[in-house]
Parts: sequence; C-alpha cells; structure tokens
Amino acid sequence: MKSERWQKVKGLFDAVVELSPDERKSFLNQSCGNDVELRREVESLLESSEEAKSFMESPAVAEMADVIEGKSKKLEAGKSFAHYEIINQIGVGGMGEIYLANDKKLERKVAIKILNEKFAKHQSNLERFTKEAKAASALNHPNILVIHEIGESENAHFIVTEFVEGETLRQILNGKNLKVSETLDITIQIANALVAAHIAKIVHRDIKPENIIIRPDGFVKILDFGIAKLVEQKAIGFEDETVNQNETAKGIILGTVNYMSPEQAKGEKIDERTDIFSFGVVLYEMIAGRTPFAGDSTSETFANLINFEPQPLSRFSSNVPDELDQIVAKTLHKNKDKRYQTMKVLLADLKDLRENLVFDEKLERSLPSGENATAKLPMVTVGKINQTSETNNNFIQRIKRDKSLAAVGLAILLISVFSFGYYFWSSGNSTSIPRGKKSLAVLPFINASQDPNAEYLSDGITESVINNLSQISNLTVMSRNSAFRFKNNQADNKSIASQLDVENLITGDIKQVGDKFIINVRLINGNDDSQIWGSQYIKNSGDLIAAQNEIAQSVATNLRLKLSDSEQQRLGKNYTANPEAYQLYLKGRYHYFKLIEPEIRKSIDFYEQAIAVDPNYALAFAGISDAYRTFPLAGWNMASKTAFPLAKAAAKKALEIDPDLAEAHIALGSIEFFFDWDWSESENELKKAIELAPNNSEAHRFYAHMLSNTGRHDEAVAEGKRARELDPFSLITNALEGQFLFYARRDTEAIDQIKKTLEIEPNFWIAHNALGRVYLRQERFEEAIAEFTKAKELSGSIAPIMQLGFSLAKSGRHEQAQATLAELKSLAIQNYVPAYYFAMLYHGLGEREESLNYLEKSFAEREVQLTFLKVDTHWDDLRREPRFQEIMRRVGLDKIPDSIAPNDGVKLYWQMSEAGQIAFIRAYEVRKIPPALGLYQAMIQSEYHDCPIHPHPSGSVGLFQFSRKTKAKYDLTPKGYCNIEKQSDVAARHMSDLISDFGEEKSSWTLALHSFNQGGDLTREQLRQLRGRGNTERSF
Amino acid sequence: MPEASEKSKEITEMLHAWSEGKPEALDLLLPFVYEELHRQARRYLRREQENHTLQPTALINEAYLKLIEQKGVRFESRTHFFAIAANLMRQILVDHARTKHRLKRGGVNSDLPLEEALLVTADEKNIDLIALDEALNRLGKMDVQQARIVELKYFADLTLQETADVLDISTATVKRDWQTAKAWLYREMTK
Repeated sequence: MKSERWQKVKGLFDAVVELSPDERKSFLNQSCGNDVELRREVESLLESSEEAKSFMESPAVAEMADVIEGKSKKLEAGKSFAHYEIINQIGVGGMGEIYLANDKKLERKVAIKILNEKFAKHQSNLERFTKEAKAASALNHPNILVIHEIGESENAHFIVTEFVEGETLRQILNGKNLKVSETLDITIQIANALVAAHIAKIVHRDIKPENIIIRPDGFVKILDFGIAKLVEQKAIGFEDETVNQNETAKGIILGTVNYMSPEQAKGEKIDERTDIFSFGVVLYEMIAGRTPFAGDSTSETFANLINFEPQPLSRFSSNVPDELDQIVAKTLHKNKDKRYQTMKVLLADLKDLRENLVFDEKLERSLPSGENATAKLPMVTVGKINQTSETNNNFIQRIKRDKSLAAVGLAILLISVFSFGYYFWSSGNSTSIPRGKKSLAVLPFINASQDPNAEYLSDGITESVINNLSQISNLTVMSRNSAFRFKNNQADNKSIASQLDVENLITGDIKQVGDKFIINVRLINGNDDSQIWGSQYIKNSGDLIAAQNEIAQSVATNLRLKLSDSEQQRLGKNYTANPEAYQLYLKGRYHYFKLIEPEIRKSIDFYEQAIAVDPNYALAFAGISDAYRTFPLAGWNMASKTAFPLAKAAAKKALEIDPDLAEAHIALGSIEFFFDWDWSESENELKKAIELAPNNSEAHRFYAHMLSNTGRHDEAVAEGKRARELDPFSLITNALEGQFLFYARRDTEAIDQIKKTLEIEPNFWIAHNALGRVYLRQERFEEAIAEFTKAKELSGSIAPIMQLGFSLAKSGRHEQAQATLAELKSLAIQNYVPAYYFAMLYHGLGEREESLNYLEKSFAEREVQLTFLKVDTHWDDLRREPRFQEIMRRVGLDKIPDSIAPNDGVKLYWQMSEAGQIAFIRAYEVRKIPPALGLYQAMIQSEYHDCPIHPHPSGSVGLFQFSRKTKAKYDLTPKGYCNIEKQSDVAARHMSDLISDFGEEKSSWTLALHSFNQGGDLTREQLRQLRGRGNTERSF
Repeated sequence: MPEASEKSKEITEMLHAWSEGKPEALDLLLPFVYEELHRQARRYLRREQENHTLQPTALINEAYLKLIEQKGVRFESRTHFFAIAANLMRQILVDHARTKHRLKRGGVNSDLPLEEALLVTADEKNIDLIALDEALNRLGKMDVQQARIVELKYFADLTLQETADVLDISTATVKRDWQTAKAWLYREMTK
C-alpha cells in the first residue's frame, strides 16, 4: 500500500472508530463513495481493532528476562569450578545461579547452585544454609533431589545436587489441568517424598509446582528441601537486618501466597501440616487448572485463603471421583487440627483411590463397548457398575476435551503411556486375590503338654492342617510363616485376623495325656471373634495323621466350601500311614524352619530317618530336596554342583512316589530354574505346583523368581505380590518382591517394598543387601555401601561382601575394593566362594579379562548366581563382549520368545542380548508400541553398538524428536552415524537440523555433514575417527 | 581514558549516522549498548527478584546515564537515546524469538508425530515476534511514525506520555496511531 493511500485509510479509521455501528455505516457510505476497496479496508481494520483489544498491551519485554539471564552468566561453558566442569547455565534462582556441570571425579552430570554474594555475605545465612543442606541431604529418598556436596571455591559458596532432566510441574501445568490418573501418579510420588521428610522432622515449607520436577519417564523429584526455608529467610535479612517482623511477613507473602497455608500466611508457627496444605493446593491446581484461592491481587488471594472455602474440584472437571474431592477438602482445611495430621495417612488415601480407579479402569477395559456390564461381571457390586458406566461416559468426554486442548506436555504423554502400561498389566494378570474368596489363617496350635519337646508336634499339626487346606482353590490360606508370627502372641483374635487380612481363624491346642493326644480345634469368625465351629479329637499317636485330615475336612465343610473331586481326594490323603515316620518328618520340618545351616543339616537327618521307617514317604523326600537346595541359595558352604544333584534326586524320588505332590513340584521347578537353567520345564513344574496348591506362597515365590530372572518382569511382580499376600509376614517373600521390582526397574516401589520388609525385621540381611543394590544402581554409593556393610555384619553370607567391594570399586575407592577382594580370597581358602562373586568384583575394578575368566569358571561350576546374568544391570558394560554373550547363550538366557508383549519388549531390549533386540524390534514394528524415552535410548544403545550389524534408525529418530519436544539435548549422534551408512538423506537432514538446533559448530557433526556434502560416503574408519572427536565416547 | 574516549567518539558518530537515516550504523552500535543493557538488566533482576519484573524504562534510563557518565557518549537528547534503545530492544527480542523458533522448528515437520505437531502449535500462543517484526517493517514503509510508536510503546514499554515526549508529538496522536497500528498489525498477523 502506498503511503498516501494508507494516510487516507488511517484518517477514515481514526474518524469512525469512535462512532457507534450505525453512525459508522452512514459515515463510511458518505466518505468512501464508490471506492469499495477503501471501504473494505477500513471495515476490516475496524474488525481487527475489536479483536486486537489486548494485543501488544503487555510489553514485549516480558520475554526479555531469560535472554538477559542467558547472556550474562558468570561461569562460561568449559570452565572448571572445584572438581566440576561447567557445561552451561540452566537457571537463575533467588539464591544464585544454577549450572549444569560435569563432575570430573565421578563422571556424572550434576547441577551446581552458586550462591550470590549478597546471600553469602552474612555468616548467619551461611550457617543456616549449611545446617539446612545437611538436614536435607540426610533425606534419603528417590523422590527427593539428592544433595551431593556443599562447599566453597573461588570465594563462592555452592551446593551440588544431582542433575534431573525433565520439566517442572509448573511447565507441565502451564494453565492446563491434568487427568485424575496422571495427578495421582505424580502426587503419590510427592507424598512419598514428604512422608520421608516428615519422618526425619523436616518440613519443606515451599511445596509448589516450581519445586517439583517430572522426569521424562514420569519419575518425580522434589527440589529445594530445607533450602526453601532459607529463601524465605532471605526476606528477613537481605537488604536490611533490621527489617521488622511485619515487613518480613509481607516479604514472604509476596512470593508464593497461592501455596501457603493460612498459618504460614499469618506468620504463625508452622509444622508438617503446612506441607500437607500446600500439597493440597498443588493437587487442586493439577485437577482444576488453577489454585484454589487465587485472586486478582495478593491481598485478595490472602483474603480468600483466610475466609473462603475453595470450590469443589467437580466444578472444574467432570470426572473427579468424590473421594478425591474429600481428600482435597481435608488437606485444605483452614484449621490445621482438622486437616490430615500426617502425610502418611494422606498418602494411604491417595493410594487407595488410585487402586480403586485402576480397578474401575480394568473393569472398563474388560467391557466390550455397548455391552451390559452386569452380564459380564457378576462379582462386582451394583455401585461399582454404576460408577463404571459413568466413568465410561466421562472417558469419552475426556477424549473429546483432550483433542480440543491441543497439546499436552510430552512428559504427561509419557506418564499416561506409563500408566497405561501399568493398567494393561494389571488387567492382564489373573493372580490378584479375587474378591469374595474366603480366607483363613491357621494359628499355631498351642503345646498344652508339660513337655516343651512336644512343640514339634503342635507346630507340625498346625503345618499339616495349613498344607491340607492350602490345596483348596476357593480358599485363601495364610502361609506357615505368617501364621507362625503369632505363635505365643497375646493379641486378640480380631486384631490378628485384621493384621493378616483374613476372615476366619483356626485356633487349637494339643495335649498328651498318657498315650493319648487330646486336640481341641476352633474355627473363628475374625470379624467378631465368634466361634463358627469347634471340636475335640482324642487320638492315639498312630491316629494323629488321620486327625489332621479330619480337621481340614471339617473346616472345609463348615466354611461351606465347594470342593472339586480331586481337591476332595487330596484333602483326605495320607502322606504316610506310619505314625513314627510322621513324627520324624515333623521334627525335620521343625528344624528346617530355623533356617540356619546346622539346623538344616539336622532336618536332613530327621527326614532320612523318616524315610528309613517309611521308604515311600514322598513329603520327606521333598523335605530333603528343600534342605539341599537351600545351601547354595543361601551362600552356605556347599557348591551348586554338590547340592543341586542331591536336591534333584530327592525331588524326583518324591514325584515318583506321588506325582501330585505340590511340594515336590516346587522343589523340582526351583532346581530346574536355579541349576538346570531349563526355564520352560521350570515354568511347567511351578505352574503345576500352583495348580495343585494354589495357596502355597512358596510356589508363587519361586515362579516369580524364575520369571524375574528371565526378564518377564511384569508377571514376576504380579506373582511376587501374590506370594506376599499369601504370606504377608515372610521376610524372604517380602524382600524378594522388592528384588523383583528392582529388576523390573521400578526403583521407587522396590525401595518401598524393601523398607516395608525392614519394618517387619530391621535386621534382615537380605533386605539390606537388596536395598543396597537399588542404591548402587542409582549411584547413591554412600547409602549402598552402608546397606552392604550392614548386610555383611548381619549375615554369615559372602554375598554382601562381594556387593560391598563392587560398590567401593564403582565409587572410585579402588584400594578398599582391592582389600575386599583380598578378603574374599582368604575366605575362599576354607569356604566355597562362588566364582561369580570374583567375576563381579573384578568387573567392578575394571578388569574385564579377569572378570570374564571367572564368569567362565562360574559357568563350569554351574553356579546359581548365573541365573541373574540377564537381569543384573551391573553387567551392562560387559554385555557386548563376545565371551559374555557366549556365556549368556550357554546359560540359555538369550532365547527369542515366540511372541513378545510391548512392555516386555522395552525391558528385553535393555538386557542387550542381540537376539532380544531383534525380537524387540520386530515386536515394536508389528505392534506399534507408543514411543517412550527408555525405548529410544535402548534402541540408540543398540545402534551404537551394533550399527554395522543391524542399524535401526527408529530409536535415533524417536530420541531426536523427543529432544525437540523437551528442548533438552540428548545424545543424538548415533542416529547420523547409522543413517550415514544406511539412509544418507535422512542422516544429512538430521545432522543439519542438529547443528542449527544446538550450534555445535565444530562438533563432529559438522565435520560429518561437511564430508557428506562433499559427496563422499564416509568410510567406517572415518566415522570412527569422527566419533573420537566427540566429547566422550558416551556422547555417541 | 584515551581508549574510552576513542570508543565513545565512535559511538557518538554512529548515533548521528543513524539519526541521519543510515540504519546500518545501528548494527555497529548494537554490541556496545547491548552490553550495557544487559548489565543493567542483571542488576534489576537481582534487585527485583521478589516479583521478577523488569522495567525497561528504568533500564534504559540507567543505561543512558552510564553511557554518558562513564563512556562519554553524546546523544542529541535523552529522547534520542530512547528511540535508539527501543529499536535495540526490538532487535534483541526478535533475535531471541528467532533462536527459539529455530530450536523448535527443526525443519522436519513431516516427521513430527501428531503430539509433537500439537505441541509446537500450542507453544505459539504468545505473540509471534518474528511475524510482528516483519509486519512492523511493512508498516514502517507506509508510516514511520506509527512503527516508531510501536517500538517505543511495545518494545521499550514506554507510557503514552513518554512516547509522545520522545517523538515530540501529542499524546492524542500517539493514542490514535497506536490504535490504528495495533489494528493493522493484528490483521496482518492473522491473515
């Protein structure tokens, strides 16, 4: 448009813009005449003017701050600071600048906050800072940002924390709201962290979305523990030490009044209930998309906070469960005494809610669309069904709304993928306790005789009754372990039933009078301690065996259980007709359950005596098998090659006598797993055992173990959970469930589970050992070393010594690690020390050849530990070694599954055997698994290692796009590396994108692109050289 | 200091060249003023960390004082400096937007999965400074004064009165031109 023409348009526009619509019309008619073009121009400007009311009204400079911050950092990239090398500045906070840096000692990425001078000037600030940082670093929780170090260098005080890649909850929310399931996934992790903090008497004081980081894999980290307090303090002392109390309060309020509790805003004393309130505000905001008390100004927000109740969440989102509204209302109670009093209770409520929702979700998934829910799910109560169909409707609305919401942050997408996986697997497993199934615990019978030596008899009868009843599939029976926890326990029946979570109890006593035994048995309703049935048996010692069968029969009848023919048969079965053999067997069991080496040797004696009396006593053979198997598993002084053949012979003999003996199937299945490495046979045996004795916790536990070690993690976790439900107080079952979660890379849950185990028994070495391994993988070396040291002290086992040495080596303390190695070697003079342990320790010390030598020795010895080869992440660095792969192959841990589920695909991929990766890629392509970071990284890993063999660019492309989305730079290089060889055009495009994105002018990328543009295919040798020029090997 | 005066002489010359209609002179000037603006901005950020607001007017004022006091740079007037600073602000912000845009764009849109394409769009809810810059160039060709007003008001965050002072026109004119410019720019950008 010409200038003169524009002046004309402008003049007209200025004139009419103040007029009413009618006036405008006549004015324009008059002034434009026939100039239709002119009129259209003015009218369209008027229209824009209406729409442009708020356009450009806030200054462009709103975007200025971060430009400025970015350009004026104190420390430049590449500069060294203490033993850190600065990578780049990642932010400016109230206390100072934050940098991403490389820890040159431990070779890991860290975040360094350098305190600004103003802050550090005051000695009292510094002292407080140090004190708080110490307290916070004592918080030992995966959802809390780890503080590595505080210190001083170049006249600057600094704090070093772990570096977390991800988005803050603030970035994710950004005016949007989240789904209930996503909200719960995140808030439960926050709550977990706060529970830990509150136990340590640390109040965060500043819970808000800015202090919560969500990693791309959905893992949540809470920042600024303890430091929050300092930031608040800064308002008191920074500009002027003499600022009075009033102004202080004002200073605090200015910051984050939206997330403050009423008592905090009023400047009153605060405690952990303040965190609970702030947590509630965050939870509220996640669902509602706004904070509950937000006003137009600080004073209005303040007034709302003090005077008004927030609107219920259901006002903002249609599918908010009532329970969530109730939970939020209780966290946001203005009176702190009426709020949740502890985070723990709040956490439990959130978890319950999530479980209910998962259940609903499962229900939803199991419904074919449009079909009547009632017809499909007879077990579910009517209330649930209503809720479900409502959820269904909401679900559709949700999808509609989501579409209109445009985009959700990537992290959220990943979280929902993650949750989806979880639901998927929960609905796919059939082992969780079906609702409505009857449950029962047989409490230890009381030895009412004068003779304490008759205890084996009371214990033995109890166990026999348990075992008999365990074969009934319609009944859940607590395992021996958990029931025996209440031996000599004075607790009343009601509380025992509730602790064991069973409906019914059986109690009894046995007394010897002359040559007769008097047995009293009662079946109790655990809800009200009323007796359902009771009976007295007077038996000769020869009839004791029959007595236990009668008791089991009567219980089944009185609980009105329907038994199948085979169950009926098994219930009445006698394992031996010989009373002496029976009593010897019971003595064997009695000693076995002491679970220490000499006692187990004794148990073998008794079993052998029992067999001498009754050569067809299958249970006694199964007992021998158990006992021998225990030696190598517990790391006692017996080689696998000695113990397992003995155990196997006994199990086979037992099955020969009685093919339906569940105990013998468990024994055989576990040997086939640990020693024969015959996974499919092992699976058959263990499944058979579960079929025969569905309540046998041990059967589930070994099955879970086998699944876990072969990489079927989701099934393993489900089985492990079932084993624990049947035997809730068993230490080994509890600890192993933690281990299964650990191998499934569900660290948070693993730590939770192991800590639960330690709550039952703080001195259980296996739990300490397991906890150490989680910490070790998280590179929390100090904590790992502490756990292994504890495990070493508590156990007579060699395993923790090896783990301890490995951790020392990994944390760079080679001398101490060498000392541990020497310790193991001296132990090996008199004891059997598995070669596997030496292999691991040498591996930790970086001695590959020696490590592989020992692994081969371990194979030659058929050590049980080799069954962990596939899932133990400590080996990851060695997985590309042909010798390692050969061992994997010989152990049979790299078989290609016929079909492979998506979730398992990713995990399988991580295990790095080539066959697994190929299978995974196939599954990925066929099933179109939704992309996830772990998957990409796994694939990248494969590209890096295997490029010349089978390059697979999807991982790189995926990760590349992921980087774009998260604006974080991931290691992208392998993509081009592979693509150059196979898909040069894609590679060239991606490389030039990368260069423009990240400005790596002199990087190997530029060189690669340059060479590429010259028209030449890079030779592999050239590529290798380029790789060498990258920062580190890892960056490829 | 001889070097300082040498440099400031240079700056002063450039300023004159710019005011005489040689826009390329500003490019040479940019690094000097840029540096000063950043230094000032840093101080402001630290001082105002409680609410994290940045007041460009005060910022420019201080930068102005500093350049005069320490470097001996001569401006025709304070308002002259404001006009320059506003233009610099525009460049800084648009540069920044370009960098951001480049990071996001990547050039492989056909490869973007659905969720990423959505993400990119959703991020653009703020004013597209690059498009605005281009539209503003076009507006400047038709009407220099309006373009200048947008620079001062939007990029340098001056009030109506201050803008009127810098350009030596009435506030009523600023108000009118601002409204028209807004409407025109808005239309250009939503075409």
